[in-house]
Amino acid sequence: MTKYVLKRLGYMVVVFFTVSFLMYCLYNLIPQDPARLELEGIKTTLKPAEYEARYKELREEMGLDDPIVVRYARWMGLAKDRKGNLNGLLEGYFGYSRYFKKDIVEVVKEPAKNTIFINIFATILALGITIPLGIYCAVHKGGKFDNFTQVLTIVGYSIPTYIIALLFIYIFAVLLRWFPVSGIGTPGATYTGLKYYVDKLYYLCLPLMVMTFGSLGGMTRYVRAAMIDALSMDHIKTARAKGVHEKTVIYSHAWRNALLPIIGIVIGWFLGIFSGSLIIENTFGLNGMGSLYIKALNNHDYDLALAMQMFYTVVSLVGALITDLSYGFVDPRVRIDK
Amino acid sequence: MKKLFALLLALLLLVGCSNGGGNTNEGGEQPSENTAVTNQIIYGSTTELNGDLGNAWWGNNASDATVRELINDYSVITTDQGGELVENKSVTTGVTSVENEDGTKTFTVGIKDGLKYNNGEPITAADFVAYALVAYSPALKEAGAKVTPDTVVGAPEYQAGETKVLSGVRLLDDHTYSITISADYLPYYFDASYASLSPLYLPMYASAPLTVKDDGEGAYLDGGELVPSELDASRTIYEGRVSAGPYQLESLDLGSLTATLTINPNYAGNFEGQKPSVEKILIVKAVQETMMDQLETGAIDFLSTLTDGAEVQRALDMEDTGKFKTVHYERNGYGAIFFQCDFGPTQFPEVRHAVAYLLDRNEFANTFCQGFGSVVDGPYGLAMWMYKDSKDILASTLNSYTYSVESAVNELKDGGWTLNADGTDYVDGSGLVRYKEVTPEEAGDYAFNVTLADGRILMPLHIEWSSSEGNSVSELLAVMLANGDQTKEAGMEIRQEIMSFGDLLNYYYRDSSVDPKYGVKTYGMYNLATNFTAMYDQSYSYTVDPELLAQGYNTFFSVDNPLLDQLSMDMVYGVEAGDDKAYLDTWVAFIQEWNRYLPAVPLYSNVYYDVMNAKINNLECNSLFDFQQAVVYATVE
Repeated sequence: MTKYVLKRLGYMVVVFFTVSFLMYCLYNLIPQDPARLELEGIKTTLKPAEYEARYKELREEMGLDDPIVVRYARWMGLAKDRKGNLNGLLEGYFGYSRYFKKDIVEVVKEPAKNTIFINIFATILALGITIPLGIYCAVHKGGKFDNFTQVLTIVGYSIPTYIIALLFIYIFAVLLRWFPVSGIGTPGATYTGLKYYVDKLYYLCLPLMVMTFGSLGGMTRYVRAAMIDALSMDHIKTARAKGVHEKTVIYSHAWRNALLPIIGIVIGWFLGIFSGSLIIENTFGLNGMGSLYIKALNNHDYDLALAMQMFYTVVSLVGALITDLSYGFVDPRVRIDK
Repeated sequence: MKKLFALLLALLLLVGCSNGGGNTNEGGEQPSENTAVTNQIIYGSTTELNGDLGNAWWGNNASDATVRELINDYSVITTDQGGELVENKSVTTGVTSVENEDGTKTFTVGIKDGLKYNNGEPITAADFVAYALVAYSPALKEAGAKVTPDTVVGAPEYQAGETKVLSGVRLLDDHTYSITISADYLPYYFDASYASLSPLYLPMYASAPLTVKDDGEGAYLDGGELVPSELDASRTIYEGRVSAGPYQLESLDLGSLTATLTINPNYAGNFEGQKPSVEKILIVKAVQETMMDQLETGAIDFLSTLTDGAEVQRALDMEDTGKFKTVHYERNGYGAIFFQCDFGPTQFPEVRHAVAYLLDRNEFANTFCQGFGSVVDGPYGLAMWMYKDSKDILASTLNSYTYSVESAVNELKDGGWTLNADGTDYVDGSGLVRYKEVTPEEAGDYAFNVTLADGRILMPLHIEWSSSEGNSVSELLAVMLANGDQTKEAGMEIRQEIMSFGDLLNYYYRDSSVDPKYGVKTYGMYNLATNFTAMYDQSYSYTVDPELLAQGYNTFFSVDNPLLDQLSMDMVYGVEAGDDKAYLDTWVAFIQEWNRYLPAVPLYSNVYYDVMNAKINNLECNSLFDFQQAVVYATVE
């Protein structure tokens, strides 16, 4: 097991460097001149000669004329920067956001907090509803409730989240006035303690409802399908024939078998708490990772976008390892002993 | 299972309704102050706050700028409701200027006694000088700020770290400072703007006990050094931020993207002595898709510069209910077809004129702005004082290029576009593309030229048009111009190429530093939009200097029109400050020459709508006087 984990960690390092180099090259292929972009705002205040001098100075400072391998090594922290320091990704320096004019760590702090806060609730809600619902539908396959749920989940699955969001806003915020249209807290409020969280949750109710509704379809159907497969296995028939209690059959015998195809998705969801939902965050005016990422791209802040992608790369690699290991915990047949 | 499902839903609704239905003042450990305040305006901004309050030295995000301008308003020179530069009489006792023998110009500014920061500490001339000493400091440059020092004598040397003394700025006494402008930048019609400084509270920018001193050679900072990291950190000081404007920052929450501002009790008034009466301003994020819902449900009170027809119509419908009101004004800018005038067919004025004639601009503006827009005939906005003062002259002298296929054809014939691809005479109405015999210089390396057996070079009337993806102007232009029957009938072909906006700008600026392909003259026509600032300065935008062209100063590439270059430069650098008549005369001449040469075809100028809760009175913004300036006159019922 330890050997397997170490081997996987070794692969992860190789994949990380390969992905980082490819990503860095891809972002640098985007046709733009960061030095020119940086000066664009003050161009009209500069005499042409001064503009040209500053432009050259900036190109030198940004190292834009150096070969891409050298720039990559500096960015990664494998080569010294212009001040003679090793200051890159490996040293924990994620770079500087040219749009926000701040260190990337500073920029990401607030959106990451919001995204994690929202996603924890969304994930718990979605799993808390879809798993029991999927199991119930599988056990009562073909019943009225199952048919109704099938229709509902198809609708939830088919309608784009953006439309669901607008529909919910119209019904719950504009018509019924139950929830606010957007935002993450009462503007200007200085709540603390429990009241702060209650206020935040009140504002997040609508986006959470949309996220949950949007994810009901897929997950419920996964769970239902996996459970139907598990319930049709021979050992379930044997257990029932032996007179084992139905609850034990479902939750102890069938559910453990159904868990194998679902576990990857469930872990993926939990790992996904770090990544924001572009549509939800933009529609509800939430300052999260999804909206930050699109803002970085729209404003040509590729250092920020790249740093975020590298973070997600690491999360994905770790997630893949956890998923593989978790299969072994769930099902002894695929446990890795070497 | 059913129970669990029901429980979860109930919990969700319970959490929601526990706050939604009740009074937000109840039950909290520390209730919100704002909920008790009715004398407030919640300003919805579609631009998210970045939280950079660093005097626009780093970035210039629109929402950050709104906050900055609301908390800082003691600039010596400011702009009035018409966009004209005016002395801020609440701050100054007078501004005088003298021209020096070496061509420089010195402004001496008297600062009023009794001015205070929001924390009650006095503001003196030293605080204004401190602004210059920080803004031009090498430490600020090292902190990543972008400030141009060239206009002030001694500032480039000071910024380069060659001297500790800023010779062009003098602290004459507690209530007087002077600033000397470099001869290279004079005469300049807007030179008063160079004299303008604002007070800067030094303890917020440096931990060292810095003071401003002047021993007769210029101002300098005594008592320590400015540190880049401290200057950088000053941008994000939110708690107890010291400022001098109509409002003070109570809080800025980047998590919820909200800034809360309250009245500054020590504010002396704006340039007219006006003080604010609205107690609190909240700046919040407005989501483009749902902002009208936010307004209708009371989540925000004010939305500015609506242009979308559906949104404007909804605002007008909301106004009919009596619960909301609107204010509208002309945009100080326009959307246009921009030509590059140094290659291909668009190098010929007749072709540019023909394009203008082939597009029904009134219909275009009406369709695109959905009834809330107008058309201009040159690079001006209808709110400008220059336009208002010369309206009659412009109306009688400018060509409005009224839609006419016949006029387009006549222009083309006059311009020599009378041949077929094989050199035979072109027959009107044939539906073929016209050709013109051109010289090798005119032909250049335009990709579509045809060389006949007899050596003649023919250029087709084929225009390559670059437009950005997902652009509704481009879509309408494609229908009404590029693919229109009238264009084909006139013998013109416009080929649209859709690309990313970044790609478009690279071609537009011919930025070969990004990729050599962008340096190749490829597209003769672009559709873009631009706004004008209160200081109408078009210098260098029409330069014919090859070096400046290479640096991207003249994106029209109007190399064959030195008159346009001269007029655009003379308008600001050839006119003494205060000589409004000379400025206006040059401006009119510039507009007339522009209209004749037509480096761009103006398409539309929007009518902006501000929509607000009916409780707000006297909030009269315009395109030259924005919310942060106008709000000091506003009241809330």
